[in-house]
Amino acid sequence: MGDTQWRVYEVFHQQSRGEPHVHVGGVHAPDAQVALLMAKEQYGRRQACVNFWVVPADAVTATDYSDVDIFEHGTDKSYREAYGYETSKRMREEDATRRVKAQTTKRPRSQREKQESES
Amino acid sequence: MKRFPDATSIDGEAREATIGLLYRLADDDMTLGHRHTEWTGLAPILEADIAFSSIAQDQIGQARAFYTLLHELGEPDPDALVFARKPEDFRCCALCTLEKGNWAFSTMRQFLYDMAKQLRLQHLAESNYEPLAKLVRKLRGEQKYHVMHGHMWISRLGDATSESHAYMQEALDAQYGYALGMFESNELTAKAAKHGISPAEEQLCDEWKGQVHEALELAGLNIPQNATAKSGGRIGSHEPVFTTLLADMRSVYELDPAATW
Repeated sequence: MGDTQWRVYEVFHQQSRGEPHVHVGGVHAPDAQVALLMAKEQYGRRQACVNFWVVPADAVTATDYSDVDIFEHGTDKSYREAYGYETSKRMREEDATRRVKAQTTKRPRSQREKQESES
Repeated sequence: MKRFPDATSIDGEAREATIGLLYRLADDDMTLGHRHTEWTGLAPILEADIAFSSIAQDQIGQARAFYTLLHELGEPDPDALVFARKPEDFRCCALCTLEKGNWAFSTMRQFLYDMAKQLRLQHLAESNYEPLAKLVRKLRGEQKYHVMHGHMWISRLGDATSESHAYMQEALDAQYGYALGMFESNELTAKAAKHGISPAEEQLCDEWKGQVHEALELAGLNIPQNATAKSGGRIGSHEPVFTTLLADMRSVYELDPAATW
């Protein structure tokens, strides 16, 4: 038996506002509005979600796997990689400092939370 | 009008009316939710199957929430209410008990039912029985999706091809009178309106007709004229198919009613 006559839409899921939309799979649907309604149950029912994109699969233009060698580096290009920077470490430290500050300035709230968690 | 913040603060006529309303809400969702599950694994395509099964789960979950409110009012626990109550004690309308029929029949029924349910919940968010008002406010999102889903199917199939149109028109003609039966009124429904527990059934029916007729006409379907409401469900007088539905739903439970799950 052949495939459904409906076209395939690629589905992109966004977990919270500001996060990137991530490709999660596809759905069959006769049009984009139906695709969104179907995507909601296929891909939204088990995880947090604020938004979906659907894109007709045939609107996607892809590279050819036979050209996979174009992604290989002929010479050392490690200078392009960000491993040498310690940005993430510095950000973690700054974040920790901010949290300590927030705790010391918002004592009444943290006390309330503590009471609630104990009750 | 008096408001009732919890189960202990309501008595007399208002309590009786609230219990009656909760049985109608819970039994409708339970029976139709069960009918929807009959499509699991059988719907026309996988995506439709999953969406419809999810709606069934939502609906059974909502039924459970209404049964829990009943239990707080001194009625038996949800399992006993679903699995051990006498058929004539159920208050579901006939529309919810009918066999699932074909896909046109089930999607049309889902649309007609959920349009009514959405209207009902919008009003119940202001109910004087506050535990109910609080609950239905949490159900809005699910209900909104159910309406979008039902509307999607009737608007697409209503005027897609002459074949799909014929199926949808046939489904509408067959169940319009049953749909009117959702709003069956009696002494108990009048008491619920009198105490601000629920809107009057006649008012809901008028509002429902306004919205549903417009959507059906836009879908190219004709509203059945001279249809009479199929009443009886709200006083426990059910169609024969309801007995079969209950027997099916209870077949596992009845193997060992005392089993712990």
